[in-house]
Amino acid sequence: MDAKKSEVLQGTLDLMILKTLHALGPLHGFGIARRIEQVSRDVLQLNEGTVYTSLLRLQQQGWIAAEWGTSENNRRAKFYSITKRGEKQLEVETENWERIAGVIGRVLRLEEER
Amino acid sequence: MSSWRGSRLRRFAAKLHGFVRGRPRDAEFCDEIQEHLQLLTERFMAQGMTREQASAAARRQFGNKTLLQEDRRELQTFPCIEALWQDLRYAIRVLSKSPGFTTVAVLTLALGIGANTAIFSVLNALVLRDLAVPHPEQLVRFGAHTPGDHYASVSLPMFEEIVREQKVFSGAFARGGGSSMNLEINGELSRGQVDLVTGSYFSELGAVPALGRLIEPSDVNLNSSEPAQVAVLGYSFWERQCGGARDVIGKTLRIENIPFTIIGVTRKEFGGLSVDMEDDIVVPLSTEPLIRGAVVGDSLQSRSILWLDPVGRLKPDVTIEQARAELGSRWPAIREAVAPAGQKPAGNPWDVERNIFHSLQFTVEPYGTGSSFLRGRFAKPVYVLMAVSAIVLLLACANLASLMLSRSAARSHEFGMRATLGATRSRLVQQLLVESVALSGAGTVAGFLLANWSSRALIAYLYRQTGLFGYVGGKALDVSPDLRVLGFTAGVAILTGVLFGLAPAWLASRGVPNSTLQNNPRTLGLGRWTLGKTLIVTQVALSLVLLAGGGLFVRTLEKLRAVQPGFRFAGVLEVGLFPKPSPFKNGDQITYFRELTDRVSRIPGVVSAGFSHGEVGGGYDWIQKVRIHGASGNPLSSNCDRVMPGFFRTVGISLLRGRTFDWHDNAHASHAVVVSENLAQTLFPSGSAIGQHIDVVTDPRWQDLEIIGVVSNASLYDIHRPPEPTVYLDALQYGTPAEFDPLFVQTELSPAAILAPLRQAFNSLGRQYVVSVSSLRRTIDDSILPESILATLSGFFALLALLIAGIGLFGLMAYTITRRTRELGIRFALGAQRAAVLRMILGETFLLTLVGIAMGLPSALAATRLITHMLFGVTSHDSVTLCTAVVALLGVGGLAGYIPAQRAMRVDPLVALRYE
Repeated sequence: MDAKKSEVLQGTLDLMILKTLHALGPLHGFGIARRIEQVSRDVLQLNEGTVYTSLLRLQQQGWIAAEWGTSENNRRAKFYSITKRGEKQLEVETENWERIAGVIGRVLRLEEER
Repeated sequence: MSSWRGSRLRRFAAKLHGFVRGRPRDAEFCDEIQEHLQLLTERFMAQGMTREQASAAARRQFGNKTLLQEDRRELQTFPCIEALWQDLRYAIRVLSKSPGFTTVAVLTLALGIGANTAIFSVLNALVLRDLAVPHPEQLVRFGAHTPGDHYASVSLPMFEEIVREQKVFSGAFARGGGSSMNLEINGELSRGQVDLVTGSYFSELGAVPALGRLIEPSDVNLNSSEPAQVAVLGYSFWERQCGGARDVIGKTLRIENIPFTIIGVTRKEFGGLSVDMEDDIVVPLSTEPLIRGAVVGDSLQSRSILWLDPVGRLKPDVTIEQARAELGSRWPAIREAVAPAGQKPAGNPWDVERNIFHSLQFTVEPYGTGSSFLRGRFAKPVYVLMAVSAIVLLLACANLASLMLSRSAARSHEFGMRATLGATRSRLVQQLLVESVALSGAGTVAGFLLANWSSRALIAYLYRQTGLFGYVGGKALDVSPDLRVLGFTAGVAILTGVLFGLAPAWLASRGVPNSTLQNNPRTLGLGRWTLGKTLIVTQVALSLVLLAGGGLFVRTLEKLRAVQPGFRFAGVLEVGLFPKPSPFKNGDQITYFRELTDRVSRIPGVVSAGFSHGEVGGGYDWIQKVRIHGASGNPLSSNCDRVMPGFFRTVGISLLRGRTFDWHDNAHASHAVVVSENLAQTLFPSGSAIGQHIDVVTDPRWQDLEIIGVVSNASLYDIHRPPEPTVYLDALQYGTPAEFDPLFVQTELSPAAILAPLRQAFNSLGRQYVVSVSSLRRTIDDSILPESILATLSGFFALLALLIAGIGLFGLMAYTITRRTRELGIRFALGAQRAAVLRMILGETFLLTLVGIAMGLPSALAATRLITHMLFGVTSHDSVTLCTAVVALLGVGGLAGYIPAQRAMRVDPLVALRYE
């Protein structure tokens, strides 16, 4: 296993999926995995199966909705889209993330200054 | 990031949805994953991999599919419930594979749980259940009683004074009577229970009419000389007598020939204040002089006749202790305010009444459960039976625990295997507990049905025996299961399931996986045998307790049946009588009763007949104090009765000295009295009692009575009691009305055969009519009914316990021998004598039984001491009973050991060894 790749942080995958659906509109699981792979530029190591666990979790919270449809190569696939409540949650969580990221960044800088 | 977790409720709802939808979701999810893998593979192939390489890479990138499915399950459903469901199906499969064990277990549990539920239903109906009225817990009964007597009641002036003075009740009412009377509606005659009430009776009980209106305070004007003659019908009376006709309102109901206007009908749910007596008719208390005044004199104005049952409703913030304190402190003043006036100077007998009055004490008792005709007699036996059935259930649990233990030992290989495959210990325990709870569940269902049937049967039996069904106004106790009974049964079911399942489950799961797998499952560690043996010893000990208790009750019944009460009850009939409603005051009493007794005696087949006031054998209790006329010092407590000529001969009490009453002992003759031999001996130890004079200290009417005869001793009123000193007064000498007194007839005729000629005799004189004819033997049987029920049921339970303990012992020995087949084979091969093996096995069984007996004896002695006061003619440590119990247990133990031992002796060494 590639040592340089980081494990996806618990909970961050949910945020990434929400953001992906927000940015790209309805997608199936495979598409979401491709998008995260592309954006992370191979920095993150992702067990693609976990995407589905995350999707279930988000569905249960009512933040995304799922619908059966046809994929680009004419196969049956389940498409996920973000709901209104999901949009709100995304906003909240984005702010949350930035705040925490900021705090962690500051802490790490403190370490350097010493 | 707590917000990610979202609301618990939403997750729960989603889970529930997933749980319900179940399987289709599984398939969908699988499809979705397959699709994803397919796309990944195609993508890798497009990058130049072979199909195999691509598919492997796809799987690698996707991660563990199975884990993913599990994650999904955990997210979408309740895994513990799924496991439980799985365990339950497995349990049913396993149990149906051993039908013998399952049948025995379910039957044992059905009997145990059924018995407990049945007895509890009866206990609930008889003692625990609240009246169906709003806030029954606020109801209290209060009143005055003489020291030593517990029945509290009041006179009307007393009631009014208490209500006027008190500050603890939000309301209070009083009820008088509750006696059976002649009724007539639409020209049809019937009898019914008539209650006289004060104005707030219905409103305090929260009753609502089904038809018309109910009695209101304005209907009960106690000061008016013309009381409102209105009546309310009870629902079942209305259904029974009026066929539920809605036009009864406004019609006339005649009570003892006095017209009343029907103003309403109560609802079906309204049961009045009694759990086993019906309120047939309710009328205003103010009509009492009209209805009964003519017969027994006006009670309304009397200050000293305590005839009303008062009930109060406590204010919401007042406790019963506060009510006791408050009313108790006012009591002396209230009593003084309503004391009857002394009419003659002090020192005169007329002061007696006043003195009794001043000794009255005041009580306040909770009344939420109302009153009951049966409670007093049967509550204690039912409590005892409750304890007995609880022990039976405990025994059944111990029995099933040992059976489960053997089974789980036999299945240790299976458990080892499952533990090796990754089952946690709690998972294994859960599996076994589910099995035991499934058993107890099945047992509960069967037991509940059994209980439903048997509690009804028990009540029906009780009613037939006490004659309550025939009694006017009796209603069946409501034993239908309510929330309390259901809760009780559910609690018992779960408790038993856990009780007999937990220990075996825990022990079974203790085995270390690899050791149970490696070990030959035919040899067992000895550790678990301690528990198995403990359970057997417990069963033997518990059944000894039950056998001792049951045995004592059976012996009690035997002794009671063998009692020689000093009077004859075989071939004696008791005739219940009532005065006719209208004119019955023609001629004087003596002429009437003399003529009547004569006519009845002349009926062919009748030997003799005589009236008495006291109900023979019916627990009649009229205690007075007597002493030698003019003497001072402690008077003698004595039974008191009023009899007419012919009575002594009829019930076989023999005259020892002097004479008995004759028809010349009238109001003009000197006051005569007949006494029992023991009374004569106590008062006049030296010399004859005949011609001596005695006083009944407690009643002013009976002073300076001349003893004209001495009769043999008899336990006339209660065969439980030894013959007590008794004073027999003449029923006709004092002008006291005797129209309600029963007539005793000595005859070999059956009650049915004598009814017609009896009626003829009574009708010819036109003053009284026959209500009932029953045999005195039946009255006596009824008087020992509590003992009879106790003996039957506790005897049955004791035998059941013996059987269960026997099965337990048998199961354990049979199991041991199966386990030891190999050992026995080797022994036989080496030349062991078969008799020696038999001795060994029997020895072991007897040892277990003896240890159980040794453990059980002290408990049995302790338990039977608690029932000492319910025994008759035996002591609680009766050696005959205890020896019989011990012998019975040893016998069953021997049998339970002998059958498996026989099997052991037939073990073929070759087969046994090859088997391994």
